[in-house]
Amino acid sequence: MTDATLNGTGGPARQGPRMRLRAWLGQERVFRWIPFVLVEGVFLLVIIIPFLLTIYISFLRWRANRPFEQAYLSGFRNYEQVLTNEGFWLSLGRTFYFAGAAVTFELIVGFLLAMAVHRVVRGRRIYITLFLIPMMLVPVVAGYNFSMIYLDSGPLNQLLSPITTALGFDPRIRWLSDPTAAQLAIIFADIWQWTSLTFLIFLSGFSALPPQLINAARIMGANRRQIFFWVELPLLKPAIVIAIVIRSMEALKMFDPIVMLTFGGPGTSTQTIAHYLWEQVWMFNKFSFGAAASVLVLIMFSVLIFTGIWLLIRQSDQVENQQLNTGSDR
Amino acid sequence: MTDDIYKPSADAVAKRHKARFDKRVIVRHAFLIAWALVVMFPIYWMLQTSFKDSGEWVTWPPHWVPHEPTLKNYEQIFTFNVQQAGVARDATEQPFNIWGSLADSLIICTFSSLIALLLGTFLAYSISRFNVGGKRFRHSVLMIRMIPPIVIAIPVLMYFAVIIPFATESVFGTRISLFDTRIGVIMLYIAISLPFVIWMMLAFIDEVPYTVEHAARIMGASRMYTIRKIVLPLVASGMVVTFLFIFILNWAEFLLALTLTHPDVSTLPVLLNKFQSASEGRLYGPQAAIGTVITIPVVIMGILIQKHLVKGFSFGMMRR
Repeated sequence: MTDATLNGTGGPARQGPRMRLRAWLGQERVFRWIPFVLVEGVFLLVIIIPFLLTIYISFLRWRANRPFEQAYLSGFRNYEQVLTNEGFWLSLGRTFYFAGAAVTFELIVGFLLAMAVHRVVRGRRIYITLFLIPMMLVPVVAGYNFSMIYLDSGPLNQLLSPITTALGFDPRIRWLSDPTAAQLAIIFADIWQWTSLTFLIFLSGFSALPPQLINAARIMGANRRQIFFWVELPLLKPAIVIAIVIRSMEALKMFDPIVMLTFGGPGTSTQTIAHYLWEQVWMFNKFSFGAAASVLVLIMFSVLIFTGIWLLIRQSDQVENQQLNTGSDR
Repeated sequence: MTDDIYKPSADAVAKRHKARFDKRVIVRHAFLIAWALVVMFPIYWMLQTSFKDSGEWVTWPPHWVPHEPTLKNYEQIFTFNVQQAGVARDATEQPFNIWGSLADSLIICTFSSLIALLLGTFLAYSISRFNVGGKRFRHSVLMIRMIPPIVIAIPVLMYFAVIIPFATESVFGTRISLFDTRIGVIMLYIAISLPFVIWMMLAFIDEVPYTVEHAARIMGASRMYTIRKIVLPLVASGMVVTFLFIFILNWAEFLLALTLTHPDVSTLPVLLNKFQSASEGRLYGPQAAIGTVITIPVVIMGILIQKHLVKGFSFGMMRR
């Protein structure tokens, strides 16, 4: 990169150097690396340099209301503060709780939907189009929609009112201001939006099942249940792993529905780690604290990220091998 | 092997005549229709709220259809000068319209998606043809996408808002801040959409056989000529799909936009959020109208590229 920029900026635009630059750029070995260098340059400038600076800031003692010049080094103080902070650990735990609950339901519902749609002939295209719409919706808009539905005098309470009045409750359940109900509300909003993704992944998996294996099993006398558990399910394993990895990575980032629905409340009962960090930095201006916390969160998450990527690579290799083995003699 | 999820499996078609009124079929359809209702309900509720006047926004029991349908919400968000036009109602006196945010959103998404598409396509080309960056580069580039955005947002916030002004002041003597500017957001969006561009374009470019290019090269075409006349036409549709896909993603992006802009620049999701907090007062109707306006273009785009999305999310499970 340095050579390219030096040649590009150095010297007046005379014929000689410019032609030499073009010749140099035209070389095979240089040409291949130009896009790579440009893209890595973008990553360096926008993500890597800020992050290195953040590591530096995490060792400072600095709040945004004081000028940067007055910040001074304070060793591991910020890390100590983060690790001994109750809110940090609680929000981290809550993040995993939300993600775990939501992803479990998304996997189950998505799998059942995909199985049903796979076996359906009539109306297949309509079902697929409808079920994929939530995924395309802007998450903030989905959050807004649910904030309308969860209103104390909203349609959800109206739909539930025959049950609640029969049980002797007040039909106006306060979905967003009761700690437990708010957590369930957030989880359901996530399930509503992201079941479409698991559905899509599973449906692709079902469509890729090789019919000859299933036919062979049927000829050998296997019944429906046996075919499902012993032939289809093992073949769907890659799809299941992909769905789990992709959805868990996304669910752990949960932020938009929380801002739209509860803003972390009531109290901090729906605060996830993303919302907690955002609040510390954006609302309370605790910059060096936030920097230390982001570094810690990245370290914790990178274990998950590496596991996820490793699983994805392994599964996609397996899928390729499977296709080589089963697809050759159709 | 069925390549297309829209095509029913041969097995299902064969059984169809045998068991048209099978109990299983009815249960299956009942389940699917129930979920379809669950899926459509929030969207329907937003649509019908956007046609309600302020008195009907919150009532008990809630109105499932607007009793007096009105276009006031849309008038309010699309009027340039709200106070003069007199569409600000008693309950909703804050004058505002969405033109500023709409322009910000369109400019930010278009530029960031275009630049990311160009950079990413060329990198995908070199990865596919020359294995630039090593064997596992195509997977490792996805890692950027897996980092929680908050961990990107906080460093970039400090970088844009404090470090860059501080550095430019001490070096050039003027404060230049990227915080709350379109350029800052565009730069960040380019970086976060590049992994997807590379990932999707790789799938499309891998399909173009290298032999065609090789033939052109042997016949004496230059490298750029080969790319322009042979590779680009073959992957053009793929580029359109990728562009729409990352446009949708950037259009929907919320956390980074919320963190890096206030108060001048605001994308549409940020604008919608402003009226969610108690400080500005909830404007259910105009919010519903904004939500509808944000949603319609992306859902149309999404349905257009649905088939390709299906392919992209199948991670090689389906044959291309």
